[in-house]
Amino acid sequence: MNIAAWFGLLSIALLMATPVLLAMLGEMLTQRTGIVNLGVEGQMLVGAAAGFAVTYASGSPWLGMLVGALAGMALSSVHALLCLGLGVNQIASGLAIFFLGNGLSAFYGAPLVGQQISGFHSLAHGWLGHLPIVGSFLGQLTSTVYLALILVLLCGLFLYRTQWGLVWRATGESADALRMLGKKPVALRIAGILTGGLFTGLAGAALSVDYTRTWVEQMTAGRGLLAVGLVIVARWNPWLALPVALIYGLSEALALRLQSMGADISPYLLGTLPYLVPLVVLLLSYRASQRGTSMPQELVGVFRGMA
Amino acid sequence: MKSFLALPWVDRAFVPVAGTLVFLLLAAVFFQLNGYAPLQIFSQMVQGAFGNAFSTNTTLSKTIPILFCAMATALPARMGLVSVGAEGQLYFGALTGTAVVLAITAAPFWELFPAALLLALLGGALWGAIPGVLRAALGVNETIVTILMNYIAIKIVEYAVYGPWKDAANLGWPATIAFPDAAKFPSLHLGALSSNWALVLAVLLAIVLHVLVEKSRWGTGLSLLRSNPRVARMAGLSYTRHAIAVMALAGSLAGLAGWVQAANVQTHLQPDISSGYGYIGFLVAWLAGQNFLRIIPLALIMGGLLSSGDALQLFAQLPFSNTLVMQALLFISVLGVGAWRAKHRSVA
Repeated sequence: MNIAAWFGLLSIALLMATPVLLAMLGEMLTQRTGIVNLGVEGQMLVGAAAGFAVTYASGSPWLGMLVGALAGMALSSVHALLCLGLGVNQIASGLAIFFLGNGLSAFYGAPLVGQQISGFHSLAHGWLGHLPIVGSFLGQLTSTVYLALILVLLCGLFLYRTQWGLVWRATGESADALRMLGKKPVALRIAGILTGGLFTGLAGAALSVDYTRTWVEQMTAGRGLLAVGLVIVARWNPWLALPVALIYGLSEALALRLQSMGADISPYLLGTLPYLVPLVVLLLSYRASQRGTSMPQELVGVFRGMA
Repeated sequence: MKSFLALPWVDRAFVPVAGTLVFLLLAAVFFQLNGYAPLQIFSQMVQGAFGNAFSTNTTLSKTIPILFCAMATALPARMGLVSVGAEGQLYFGALTGTAVVLAITAAPFWELFPAALLLALLGGALWGAIPGVLRAALGVNETIVTILMNYIAIKIVEYAVYGPWKDAANLGWPATIAFPDAAKFPSLHLGALSSNWALVLAVLLAIVLHVLVEKSRWGTGLSLLRSNPRVARMAGLSYTRHAIAVMALAGSLAGLAGWVQAANVQTHLQPDISSGYGYIGFLVAWLAGQNFLRIIPLALIMGGLLSSGDALQLFAQLPFSNTLVMQALLFISVLGVGAWRAKHRSVA
């Protein structure tokens, strides 16, 4: 393979990785406050359906992305109500969000099936696409890829370089320590869940508005669950989210590339790659992630069991 | 008021009754907001589920896989494992059972059926054991692994029926050859009602499992592993061995659901042998509080909800996906009321 082919593979991987990357950032922000939300999949689905519907009706993909993000946030508020307000087990509550998002998006998305939108303008002919050497590569990426990269930067700076980021991280490490600082852990956790909902709704909208440009029931196909697993691989660190999301993106891109090269493997078997590869990576890094100090301490009980 | 709530039977009935009321309220709001008259929809639901022999038979046929999948969820939950993997175990069990049918298609019932059933059990067990091993050996969260493995199992079944196992006579339709009657659970008739022996098997297994987890040493061991793993270890119970065995056993139960769906309901292996029964079984198990006897009526109600979903789509133009919303609302109602009750009881 020459350089151009590698760049081609990388640009597809980045496109594929973007929804997962956004969902990972959202779940990371939630888990950093000491709450696990397994409802990411459901939030992505309502984000994808709402984002697609608004883009279809208004013609504006940016408006669609915004509404998709808000829809994800609205659904995540149910998680906040259930586990913070009523004291439901976080794993069970997250699964309830998964089921509810799946149902609501299928119910309200039914008239959208089969419709098409044009999505964002291509960047290939702007100033970015005319840069020497890297121009054609950068031009192949879409607006949501750049948005996700900017958000990685913002999340990293927020968590590690700002006062509020420190408070945010402290919430996940020890609610008691936070109380001694005179802050309210519950308020911060609500903020953590809602911010996560906003990002994961955006992730779903990125998938339907920018990538597939169609709406299909259950179109996220496990990406939300993968994102929850990959947050562990990335050690709750936004800076690591990009390379880890690229593992997913590359395995998806590789499956596509092998298919288009006419490899003698069933597309359905190749379709297991985007699940198998992240799963294996999760297995390899799981032990270390639990032993190390990177895991927010308030999460330990949630992951160990239901107690 | 407080003393009334403290009566034992009121205490036990509080969560189911209040949970159902909250659910009916949420469901009524949902239908009202979408322009359907709630009371009319509710009565049509009951009609569509149990209104006549045909609808009751449809309900029963949907109850069977839900029952198996609910048991496949409740058993691991008894030792504190949150498995959402029944859907994938159902598919993988159907896949391995189908291998037998394709190998000895012409064999008589007493050879073909037990062999296919055994392979379906083993396939489901394998798919369940993998997350069990990963949890026990590496400590990997079983909820995430089981859900991811669902997607993988469905892809493998798609590979088989679009590829090597596809019957050329089906033209474009991705499915294997039609299964011979010798591969199916024998049918069962009672007046106008008709079903098959898988229903009897499912109910019997639920009763047996109920007795085992409530009354046997093994069941107590599971509870101990859930509530206090350290004490369990000191009592000589191996977490590793139990986690793997329980997950494998649970997987084989879901494998049974896979076999009844492939052999009796669809009569082919094809990509849509389950309508999300694995996930519905999960909801039923949690609504039942992992109690195997309570799973039986709840599975019947859920089966009724699905079969009325078909009828409502036909007569009220209500999209079938409303059943997904109903399931989620029911789950949320019971979870919420249960947690609220637990909190207020501990205060009182």
